[in-house]
Amino acid sequence: MTKKYDAIIIGAGVIGSPIAYELCKMGYKTLNVDKLPDAGEGSTAGSCAIVRAHYSTEDGVALAYEGFKYWLDWENYLDNVTDEKGLAKYMNTGSILIKSDGHDWRKVKKHYDAVGVKYEEWDLDTIKKHVPPIDLHKHWPVRRPEDPSFFDEPTEMLEGAIFCPEGGYVNDPALSAHNIMRAAEAKGGEFMFNAEVVDIRSENGRVKGITLKDGTQIDADIVVNVGGPHSFKINQMAEGVWEGCNIKTKSLRHEVMYCPSPEDYDYLNDGYHMSDGDIGCYVRPEVGNMFLIGSEDPECDPQEWVDPDQFYAGKGGPGRDNVLTDAQWKAQCYRLGKRIPSLKVPNQPKGVVDLYDCSDDWIPVYDKSDLPGFYMAIGTSGNQYKNAPVVGRMMAELIDACEKGLDHDKEPFHYEFKYTTRTLNVGFFSRKREINYDSSFSVNG
Amino acid sequence: MQIYVCVKHVPDSAANIHMIDNRNIDDSVPFLMNPYDEHAVTEAAALKKQIPDSEIIAVCLGKKDAESTLRSALAMGADRGVLVETDDMCDSMTTARVLHAAIIRDGGADIILTGKESIDSEGMQTQFRIGALFDFPVVTNAASLEITNGKARVGCELAGGRTRTYELTLPCVIGAGRGLNTPIYPTFPDVVKSRKKPIETVARSQLNVSDAPGSAKIISMTPLVQKRNPRKIIGTPAEQAAEIIRILRQEAKVLS
Ligand SMILES: Cc1cc2nc3c(=O)[nH]c(=O)nc-3n(C[C@H](O)[C@H](O)[C@H](O)COP(=O)(O)OP(=O)(O)OC[C@H]3O[C@@H](n4cnc5c(N)ncnc54)[C@H](O)[C@@H]3O)c2cc1C
Repeated sequence: MTKKYDAIIIGAGVIGSPIAYELCKMGYKTLNVDKLPDAGEGSTAGSCAIVRAHYSTEDGVALAYEGFKYWLDWENYLDNVTDEKGLAKYMNTGSILIKSDGHDWRKVKKHYDAVGVKYEEWDLDTIKKHVPPIDLHKHWPVRRPEDPSFFDEPTEMLEGAIFCPEGGYVNDPALSAHNIMRAAEAKGGEFMFNAEVVDIRSENGRVKGITLKDGTQIDADIVVNVGGPHSFKINQMAEGVWEGCNIKTKSLRHEVMYCPSPEDYDYLNDGYHMSDGDIGCYVRPEVGNMFLIGSEDPECDPQEWVDPDQFYAGKGGPGRDNVLTDAQWKAQCYRLGKRIPSLKVPNQPKGVVDLYDCSDDWIPVYDKSDLPGFYMAIGTSGNQYKNAPVVGRMMAELIDACEKGLDHDKEPFHYEFKYTTRTLNVGFFSRKREINYDSSFSVNG
Repeated sequence: MQIYVCVKHVPDSAANIHMIDNRNIDDSVPFLMNPYDEHAVTEAAALKKQIPDSEIIAVCLGKKDAESTLRSALAMGADRGVLVETDDMCDSMTTARVLHAAIIRDGGADIILTGKESIDSEGMQTQFRIGALFDFPVVTNAASLEITNGKARVGCELAGGRTRTYELTLPCVIGAGRGLNTPIYPTFPDVVKSRKKPIETVARSQLNVSDAPGSAKIISMTPLVQKRNPRKIIGTPAEQAAEIIRILRQEAKVLS
């Protein structure tokens, strides 16, 4: 049995759901297909869901700043849809970017000025006033606890920080994707779960539809790959698509730690999101008065490129599966322990391990493909949660323009932001681009 | 007071257990201090606060890697560590004999703290066997401990939520339960300080421990794969709550 949709979106994560929502609003009949049981249960569920504006490129900053406005206006964005699970909540904590050798913060500041991002410069006293348990010694370069010099006494002090009052995190990333699914359904979108795509069919040089594991074929003139860490596998299913990408994607394992805040510090209510390149960590509050500690992928840390199917099945062995490792637990918690010396570090690791869908230059690919009708929103590289709603809109408009005849490879589509006044050359995210060496090649994008 | 704490290096309860053959766990599986032993170390640190000229010695029988568990004990407040190194998986008879010999070799104990059980072999015997070898009184699953006038007053949790309080002469052996305290975890400065604390490594053969008259050997070991059958609980919040209560009562039988 084949059923006709205008567009099939593979994946119902935080990027796939808003693409469907926006296409529905433009009159397309969409179907999201996901092999998991519900929306947002893929890598979105493991996301730290931090919303902050600092990126290494001006376009990156601009997109994040635009994206931020959607989170502020969540109910309206969802057109006041009701979700029986409740609504995800954006928590505005403010965002501290420590000035360090680990970030090109001068470049970030320049981009903030260009885009109009509000910020303050904080000296050490101001940081200390806002974050009482902090120690502001300089520790650069980032090291691992296995290296004896990790324990050297620091002597120099940091310079200060850039503080953005607009920044924070979303309290339940999986729920936010679910909210967008409900909003899409209200506009006619359909979602199919526990359905794994195993093939992408094409005919006469154009995409024709998908085939599911149970053999079901579903047709549509448009198919969008939003498979998260599985994106490279899905590109490989479609004729000529993977080969046609100059920028490729792979899945990278990433551990996120939950360490209790010092007892006398109400981090959950008084704390900030902080990116600290000097120790290679970023942090935000988590329920239970925890520090959620992510890694900024310092050079000394091993990078585990894994097979996503093996990983999610708990296979591949320690350091390659979906369980935290003692070595990385100590690395991230002790690094933060240098910054917050009263932080107590339990012996047993607690946290989440998930996968980044990482591109060659840590900048996403939001593009068409070499197979007409086949599109992709992939390579989100651990840093696109915050952009999901704006990416949904941008992809929908890109798809619509291409379907109406635009040759995006030749004349890149320009996306007009809805909240901030700016246009973005979507060619920036092209699959055909050369590696962008302005990138930080890290989660900072 | 000489306070000995016996600590065991066990696989992380959250890890996927991989075997290298049908008897040994892959070394790269995360191992850490047995959680009950964390309560024992924490209690030792509290005793030392109360009786300041005490010394806390953490003792461990295990492979070379077990040193990291001793390092954790040092960071949590132990003064020094003794690792009795062996590549064998020992049963509780042998473990007790080795720990007994290691403590005698090191000096002598005023009090010996252990966890109430180790989460890997769940034998719940080692503390009793150590007590028997020393001829010291033993209690286990301690939920409170007070030392006054050379005696230990220990509240122990029994099955069915009952507690019983004992008075023990010193030296004695106490198996720590979860109710005893909240483990005090180390800060980074504690970790830095603990790096200077000594760990002595002794080969098991150096201790001349005579074999126990009997022994239990592991012939084979396979990871237990628990079958999970997730079900979705649907309905209004009230219906969902009622269904959860029904499951807890009728299926899990944890509510009456
Ligand atoms: C640990 C971690 C921390 C992060 N922290 C942040 C952060 O703080 N801030 C930020 O902005 N970003 C962050 N990110 C990045 C952000 O979360 C991701 O970019 C985003 O969630 C990706 O969403 P997605 O919809 O592309 O992927 P996913 O949520 O993974 O969705 C892809 C979906 O596709 C489905 N799928 C795959 N293959 C198939 C198939 N063959 N058939 C059917 N379905 C299929 C999967 O089941 C999955 O549900 C983080 C990511 C991780 C992993």
